[in-house]
Amino acid sequence: MPDQRTDTELLIASRDEPDAFTELYRRHAEDLLRYFARRTLDPETAAELTAETFAEAFASRQTYTDKGVNGVAWIYGIARHRLGRFFRHGRVDASARRRIGMPERELPPEDYERIEDLIDFAPIREALSEALETLSPDQREAMKLRVIDELAYPEVADRLGCSEANARQRVSRGLRKVALMLQQRGMQLTTEVEA
Amino acid sequence: MNTDIHFLQQLEDDLTEAAAREAALLAEVDDDEVSVHRSRRLPRRERHWGAIAASLVAFLVLAGSIGFLAQRPGQQERAASGAAGVKRDVGDAVGGVPAAQASPAPMPGTVGEATSGSGTRAGSLTQGGVDFSVGDQAAADQPATVHGGPLLPSQQQGDLSKIIRDGRISIVVPDGDFETSLTSVSRIATSLGGFVLTSTTQNQNTGTFTLRIPAKKFDVAMERLRAVGEVQADAVTGQDVTAEFIDQTARLQILLDRRDLLEGLQSKATTSQEILRLAGLIEKTQLEIEQTQGQLRYLKNQVAEATIKVDLRERHAPEAQPEPTTEGPSLSRAIRLGWQGFLRVIGAVIVGLGYLIPIALIGLAIWGLVTLVRRRRRAAS
Repeated sequence: MPDQRTDTELLIASRDEPDAFTELYRRHAEDLLRYFARRTLDPETAAELTAETFAEAFASRQTYTDKGVNGVAWIYGIARHRLGRFFRHGRVDASARRRIGMPERELPPEDYERIEDLIDFAPIREALSEALETLSPDQREAMKLRVIDELAYPEVADRLGCSEANARQRVSRGLRKVALMLQQRGMQLTTEVEA
Repeated sequence: MNTDIHFLQQLEDDLTEAAAREAALLAEVDDDEVSVHRSRRLPRRERHWGAIAASLVAFLVLAGSIGFLAQRPGQQERAASGAAGVKRDVGDAVGGVPAAQASPAPMPGTVGEATSGSGTRAGSLTQGGVDFSVGDQAAADQPATVHGGPLLPSQQQGDLSKIIRDGRISIVVPDGDFETSLTSVSRIATSLGGFVLTSTTQNQNTGTFTLRIPAKKFDVAMERLRAVGEVQADAVTGQDVTAEFIDQTARLQILLDRRDLLEGLQSKATTSQEILRLAGLIEKTQLEIEQTQGQLRYLKNQVAEATIKVDLRERHAPEAQPEPTTEGPSLSRAIRLGWQGFLRVIGAVIVGLGYLIPIALIGLAIWGLVTLVRRRRRAAS
């Protein structure tokens, strides 16, 4: 039977009942991953930011006070903060995960495409092709095959003559660079309204 | 969780584990809190010592309070004796050596022994001789004594007691009477052979005056000043400088003798070197003689004329502005005050203990007796 409590109630309850936080995670993990994917364009970064955001929310759940801010809005506040740090430093640290003893996991290969599916490239495709010019030839080619031509990774790997993992890595790094660059130019990567 | 993203599933597992760890930790903390709560009840023996310590502290605080209260009347007494006429500081007058006697009024016939700070000379007076006998270095251990003719106690006081008297009086006069009162004050001073030393007036309704009055007329002057208006405050202090006076006189005599001796030697001197050396010594002695004479003159003046400070104010005049204090903060003064305060507290506790301990002993004895009687009765029944 699904938990009937609201997000705020779950977050408050999680202070004494840590399991309640897992329920909150189940409800919002995919949305948050999409939020990050659409902003960073990079599945690896999006996954790491998701893990780090939930870890930080879990670690500091005691500080949440119900002052009219919805529990989820509070988590998205942390997410924005983490995203800002990523755009400033170009990397995601694992401080919150370390604090609560959570391992740093690699993104499984099959998740790349699944997460990229969450990203709606259509509105940014034009800007993207411009940004591609700034990448290294390897990354640019991989990005073109994957993002513009929308080929699956095995095909991208075939065309590039490299392993599938290598192709994924090239696309991932390329996307991250592009996202950072677009962010620096002040370009809005998504028109999506935040949850 | 409805997702086909493995990473999110793994993350869920990781978070669940973290939550489980934290839940275990919370349970442990709860247990600890319970045990801490339990241990808050001190063992019987420790509680016993705690009670003893608390009682002791309470006892000392009580003793301190009693000590302070007990010391207060003493202060009032001192103030009263000062107001009555004389405050004696003979110890100070003899250069820090504690006075042998500091009785409120000189004993008939004996003024006491005055000892100089260096202890090389001694002057002692019995039967109130007018001239002071002086013991020089050779006679230091044998105080010289001079017997004078018998004198009445009042005469002795007049002749021997060197007391510097100071008075202070605050007078309030009806509105508009300031000018006439001012004249009265001035007339009191002049009519008694004194004078107004300083005078400060503000707004023609407030003023402060310092009067110098011949010592013998001091009491009369105070009496007349009290009649000028309504007396708000009134204080009289006296500083007994008899010992200092005797000391300085003795010193002068020694110096004079020494000068005579040196002059005699100089007249008999044969070599110019000797003459010069003696001339140097005579000059030095002369300087000391003059210094001592100056000191004596000052003391005589101070004794001969009393100082009275008069604050005169019309009834509805604003309070006079207090004189600004120019004293800056001083660490050494603060330390000194702190130390004095500490000693005062300790002193008060000791005084209080003096009051409390006998009472406590009596109480203890009664309690012991009652307990004994009860036990016997119980044993009997």
